[in-house]
Amino acid sequence: MTDQAVRPGPAIALRSPALRLIGNRLATAIPVLFGVTFLTFAVIQLLPGDAAQQLLGINATQEQVQEFRDKLNLDDPFLVRYFHWLGDVLTGNLGNSLASDQPVTSILSDGLPTTFQLLAYALFISLVLTVPLALLAARNPGGFVDRVGMVTSMAGLSVANYVLAVVLVYVFAVQLGWLPAIYTNDTGTPGELIKSLTLPAIAIGFPLFCFYTRLLRADILEQMQGEDYVVTAKAKGVGPWRVLIRHALPNSLFGLLTIVALNIGTLIGATVIIEQIFAVPGIGHSLLEAINNRDVPVVEGIVLVLAVVVVIANLLADVLYAVLDPRIRYGRSAP
Amino acid sequence: MGAQLPEGEAGGVAATLAVAPTVAEPAARRRGWTRNLDLIIPGALVGLLLFLCFVWPLFGTVPPPTGGNILDANAPSFSEGHFLGADQVGNDLWSRLLYGGRNSLEIAFAVNVIGLVVGGLLGAFAAFWGSFVDTVTMRILDVLIAFPSLVLALAIAQSLGPSKLHTIYALCFFSVPAFARLARAQTLRLRERPFMLAAGLAGTRAPRILLRHVAPNILPALVTFALLGVGVTIILEGALSFLGLGVPPPEPSWGNMIFEGQAVMSAEPKLVLLPSAFLFVTVLAFNLLGDALRARGNAS
Amino acid sequence: MSGGAPADVRVEVGAPPATGPLLEVGDLRVDFRHGGRTIRAVNGLSYALSVGRTLALIGESGSGKTVSSRAIMGLLPPSATVSGSVRFEGEELLGLSDKAMRRRRGADIAMVFQDPSRSLNPTMRIGAQIAEAVRVHARVDRAAARDRALELLKLVRLPSPEQRLHEYAHQLSGGMRQRVVIAIALASKPRLLIADEATTALDVTTQAQIMELLRDLQRQLGMALVMISHDLGLAASFADEVVVMYAGRAVEQAPTRELFAHVRMPYTKALLDAIPRVERPPHTPLPVVAGRPPDLAALPAGCPFAPRCPNAQDMCRETAPPLEEGSPGHRWACWYPCEDAA
Repeated sequence: MTDQAVRPGPAIALRSPALRLIGNRLATAIPVLFGVTFLTFAVIQLLPGDAAQQLLGINATQEQVQEFRDKLNLDDPFLVRYFHWLGDVLTGNLGNSLASDQPVTSILSDGLPTTFQLLAYALFISLVLTVPLALLAARNPGGFVDRVGMVTSMAGLSVANYVLAVVLVYVFAVQLGWLPAIYTNDTGTPGELIKSLTLPAIAIGFPLFCFYTRLLRADILEQMQGEDYVVTAKAKGVGPWRVLIRHALPNSLFGLLTIVALNIGTLIGATVIIEQIFAVPGIGHSLLEAINNRDVPVVEGIVLVLAVVVVIANLLADVLYAVLDPRIRYGRSAP
Repeated sequence: MGAQLPEGEAGGVAATLAVAPTVAEPAARRRGWTRNLDLIIPGALVGLLLFLCFVWPLFGTVPPPTGGNILDANAPSFSEGHFLGADQVGNDLWSRLLYGGRNSLEIAFAVNVIGLVVGGLLGAFAAFWGSFVDTVTMRILDVLIAFPSLVLALAIAQSLGPSKLHTIYALCFFSVPAFARLARAQTLRLRERPFMLAAGLAGTRAPRILLRHVAPNILPALVTFALLGVGVTIILEGALSFLGLGVPPPEPSWGNMIFEGQAVMSAEPKLVLLPSAFLFVTVLAFNLLGDALRARGNAS
Repeated sequence: MSGGAPADVRVEVGAPPATGPLLEVGDLRVDFRHGGRTIRAVNGLSYALSVGRTLALIGESGSGKTVSSRAIMGLLPPSATVSGSVRFEGEELLGLSDKAMRRRRGADIAMVFQDPSRSLNPTMRIGAQIAEAVRVHARVDRAAARDRALELLKLVRLPSPEQRLHEYAHQLSGGMRQRVVIAIALASKPRLLIADEATTALDVTTQAQIMELLRDLQRQLGMALVMISHDLGLAASFADEVVVMYAGRAVEQAPTRELFAHVRMPYTKALLDAIPRVERPPHTPLPVVAGRPPDLAALPAGCPFAPRCPNAQDMCRETAPPLEEGSPGHRWACWYPCEDAA
């Protein structure tokens, strides 16, 4: 079939602009991570309020509070504490919670998997529905499906996800009883996990889906109406669906991917709220608690992880772009 | 090919909505003013909302939103003295909706105006000066965007104590970087245009170029972004209030009304549904308005 | 292999084939709705083309030449209204459903476009794009399609064709890309090829190569060719018949030799004069037609060229001259045509 021997091999890929791009991005990612953690530290430290006081409660005496502070070096200058923390991190030690003395890493490993499951579920819901709907809308711009789709998607993305969550709980949990209102995963079976995460995932995923559909549709239409290669394809006699799916769609997906990656930060923010409403034991929950307690190590640990996720997501988007876009993957070969 | 996003555009619904690719929408078949319906309807809706929240309480007979009589608790709609009924502690619901809207809108406007001015200036300056200043600013913006700003917002709100002003501070951490990104991208695009080169060659000094050439050209995109941002900000403010860190009770805000109403949703659904509806309609109106302006901006 | 010296490229004007013309365009009109206005892009265009012959459609941008060819293919946007008649092999094409047109696109009539850097899909391999053209009209498997693609690349004289099959558009130079576009157009053996400014985006040397390739392919495959261009010089070298368009209508039509020997319409004369000639003394200003093409949404009564015409009289501004056959095979639309040099 296709002549494999003639394909550009991995050797060319290594010299390719793609890898240079990745290296470039990695290099800029490191200072960003530094910046983020430093900023978090600074903010938590500089804001009024006292961790020790908070944690020990109103009735603690001055000595108790002071003892607490000494034990945890809370009186050291801010920069010293930051670099201490940084040093620890680089050796893999994220410290312990001020409140519970539980190692931060264990708090993370308890909550992260659940949060990621929720995020993945929400992204899946939104993306799986986006492509077919955008295609249907783009098939007949201005037609019935398109108009209805645009109206509902505009409405959908104007709904706050926490409002949707409340309404979903009311309809599906309280009235219909189909799905649980609170995360209940006692048995740990995949079935129960999915049931527990469904309403939260819809709450997050639905406004996203509306947003992505509009974007993808606009992008596809831009390709279909503005690009010459589409006319070439039509002039060959290619049918409209094939032109949409085989020609316009692959070129549009790039734009969508970039935006999905850029939006990860917002997505995480949404997760924090939703986890609170549904009592999902993810890190959003732990984060809120830690912020309330001014539990610096936990906040720092979680922020670090979240920042890393955002940076990696952006990096992945760039990488995917580089790998999938043939113009970057293969440079110009000699004519 | 693909959406030509300005490099590294800010995440967030508003950011990407504002720079969504231009599409030749099916030509409007109507003539005259009916062709501008997509602008008029949301515009009128926004006008109505602003009127209700800011103007009406000054003249109309609206009872105060707090300090209600406990004997009036859970009064049904259209009962005496309470147009839409009362909440669990006797506060007039209609009043709380209006005053809550005022709070939410004030916060949203403040955040977006500050974002536009501060962020816009920052971004435009950075792009204009280029090289070192630009790179440094970009890195800082990168940090702020990678930073889960929600954390910051929560931390600020938590430690300073929940209040309207503190909510505004907290939310500015979202808006300023987003506007700065947009302004920077727009200014960069502008720099390449011949009239900019011409202005520079003619010896026009920098501040003048910024004022007379850059500002008027990037302002439309920024304003559209701000309109879309109002919707986003109201939702965020609602989220903060929902978590107890926004506008503090008993002051109403749509967010905290929804939160409080949750508990009695089975018995009194309107306590959740009414503020939710107002929230929805407001955000929708601003989104539609921003969208209509964006379509016009792109067409030109 | 590569074209030798052009030599005598004017195909003899022979008798038309007995079966009648391959393509007959009759009073073609195309309107666009834009904003609230109606733009008449093509205003009564008529011509006929026989098997194996080449017709050049010459005009400035906005003259309607591209729109008319897209109308033939049925590739205009929904905002366009087409009327008149386009008969291919005796069958009326206007009014056919899109599905019916699709069967003909590529298989009967094919098109080559102007900008090869944009008319190829950037994310699809060359081989796949050609194979797609093959498989749209023939039930063959992938291997057979691939073989045919290779065959086509050789036909258009693309160097290293096996390698090119796996490459992407951006990896090829402009001239090579245009050859690929031609290969795609020829995939299903069309009987009519429309080359819409096929060489405009290329440099002069490549232009010559591609034109010669087209001419050779035409002879080889017995195709009719409509070449659309703004370059009258190109028409002189390669076309059997020339139709000059202005503001959406034909203003002069004649077999090539006849046109150049006895040009009548002042517009055509101006185009001719604008061709740079080696014989002219250096630094002679190039005679350029003053003014701009008319606004198609507000065409003046009378001859559309009148505002720019050196021969214009009052009659020209009042009434539009009809396109009439003044001498055998030669039609023009002018009240005061140019006289032959005595």
